[in-house]
Amino acid sequence: MSTMTDTVGAAVVDPRRPAAPIAIRLTGVEKIHRTDRIETVALNQIHLEVKDREFLSVMGPSGSGKSTLLNVIGLLDRPTKGTVEIGGQSVGTLSDHALASKRNRDIGFVFQTFHLIQDLNVLDNVEIPLLYRALPAGKRRGMAQEALERVGLSARTEHFPSQLSGGQRQRVAIARAIVGRPSILLADEPTGNLDSQMGDEIIAILEELNRAGTTVVMVTHDQRLASRTARIVRLFDGRQVE
Amino acid sequence: MLTNYVKLAWKVLLRRKFFTFVSLFGTSVTLLVLMIASAMLDHSLAPHAPEVRLDRTLLVTYMSMRGDENDWSGNPGYGFLDRYCRGIPHVEQMSVFTGVHATSSFVHGGKVELQLRRTDAPYWTVLDFAFVAGQAYGEREVADGARVAVISESAARNLFGGRAPVGQTFETQGQSFTVIGVVRNVPRDRDCAYADVWAPMTTLPTEVWRTALMGDFNAMLLADSPRHFREIRAEFAARLPHVVMTEPDRYKTISGMPRTRLEDIAAEAAGTTNDVPRTGLFIGVLVLLTLLFMLLPAMNLVNLNISRIFERMSEIGVRKAFGASTGHLVGQFIVENIVLSVLGGAIGLLLSLWGLQLINGSGMIPNADFRMNLRIFLYGLGLAVFFGVLSGAYPAWRMARLDPVEALRGGPR
Repeated sequence: MSTMTDTVGAAVVDPRRPAAPIAIRLTGVEKIHRTDRIETVALNQIHLEVKDREFLSVMGPSGSGKSTLLNVIGLLDRPTKGTVEIGGQSVGTLSDHALASKRNRDIGFVFQTFHLIQDLNVLDNVEIPLLYRALPAGKRRGMAQEALERVGLSARTEHFPSQLSGGQRQRVAIARAIVGRPSILLADEPTGNLDSQMGDEIIAILEELNRAGTTVVMVTHDQRLASRTARIVRLFDGRQVE
Repeated sequence: MLTNYVKLAWKVLLRRKFFTFVSLFGTSVTLLVLMIASAMLDHSLAPHAPEVRLDRTLLVTYMSMRGDENDWSGNPGYGFLDRYCRGIPHVEQMSVFTGVHATSSFVHGGKVELQLRRTDAPYWTVLDFAFVAGQAYGEREVADGARVAVISESAARNLFGGRAPVGQTFETQGQSFTVIGVVRNVPRDRDCAYADVWAPMTTLPTEVWRTALMGDFNAMLLADSPRHFREIRAEFAARLPHVVMTEPDRYKTISGMPRTRLEDIAAEAAGTTNDVPRTGLFIGVLVLLTLLFMLLPAMNLVNLNISRIFERMSEIGVRKAFGASTGHLVGQFIVENIVLSVLGGAIGLLLSLWGLQLINGSGMIPNADFRMNLRIFLYGLGLAVFFGVLSGAYPAWRMARLDPVEALRGGPR
């Protein structure tokens, strides 16, 4: 059985084609932030399937739940209700330790503000995900070098983040996200802090990674960039509207 | 992983210089005080020259006589030690000696202060003095009451200036002594050995001491092995009921027990008299005091570390996002703190080397010769690591439990 998407992004069955594996499946996901007096619905009844090797954009105004959706997909946040499956595995019952391990192996993150560790040089920053796999130092170095080559920064391994331009920092962040060869890459407004030329370069790298087999989910405000992806999911007030 | 933690810790320390300075200052001063205290305690308790056999020596330094209306507690007398403490099985050698007494001698119109101790002949074999000239007196000199003396190097210098001291005479307490040996100075904290002048106990001016049950004497019982301390004590206790009291109308019983140096100090600290004190309790109190002393700077460091959580939120969020578990992060932050504390410990060690030199040279403690050794260094290292864990565990736990989304949101942009 295969699936295809309609205009609102919901999966429908296409009996003519073989099924593409589902990388991410969200079913009835709700996320409610509660304080003593206020209850805020960040996500409301989200049903979403992202196929393996798909490049998906998530758009919506500020506060619409885009980042929360990415955090739930990225296993950084647990939904209040509903189920999340990553690579066919339901993650609702996994312990914090198991979630950490799954994040480490299956998911890479790229953030708008890069979130590089200022005390570490480029190579050490890129190595971070590998530290939690207990790999030997030589192997870690090799994999980090390779990831930096893929983003065109192999000559800057000893630089510190403060010595790099915004575009270079985001490339380092992408290298860090892909160094562990995850199947899913989550990018939260990866071009938000960059000018349009650098933004285009970053999107080109993400497209290249997607062509090489990585599933990419990108949150963006930029319609022009979103239109370069295969599918756009739009959110408003925590609801999927398109 | 550990190498990486240490490497990161080093980078963090270099980058946050003010924090590093404040932390190192607190840690090193705390450890300085603790290491000096450890060095002094170690010097008092561990075998050091001349008390090189302290580990298998029991001391009889405190006895009590009790009657219906009278109590007398203090040093035992020669009469008791001589009659009732000799020939105990497993005691290789026994030495009897007095406490030290301040006395003086006049040289060319000037007053020389001296600390005088009178001893028997085995004293010189139970203890291991370093002779720089001459020799000790033996059984014959003691039996004859010969007016001979062994003196320390500093006493030799004060009494005779540049002249060779052996063969010279000096007067003190109305007696004239001929110097037959000179030994290296003995630190004040070597309780059984310390003095400036040692003379045969038979040179005491009166004869009353020979029979007294209580008096001004002490004994060292050199056991063949510390394993036999129990048997020696049992035999000692068994002999006490047979002591013939010299003043039965005033005192009916005598009690006391041979103790190790540690037990002696513990007894003194606890105000205990006759029983063998519980050294475990004494050590426990010392450990507790050490902990309390470390607590204040540790709390300060905890506070500093917690304030650093806000600086490092982004890093925590990133590490969590890329697969760090709570355990990984706790490990990382504790290693960072241990690195900081060990560095503080190293500075504290250097400061304490300097501090001990200062104490040795100040004359506050006569002939003080406090030194660092491997054992004290290891105490210091242990204290530093413990301090690191103590001050790092709670902040590390708080850091590691931060919600990754919150951490990423609150991190510096």
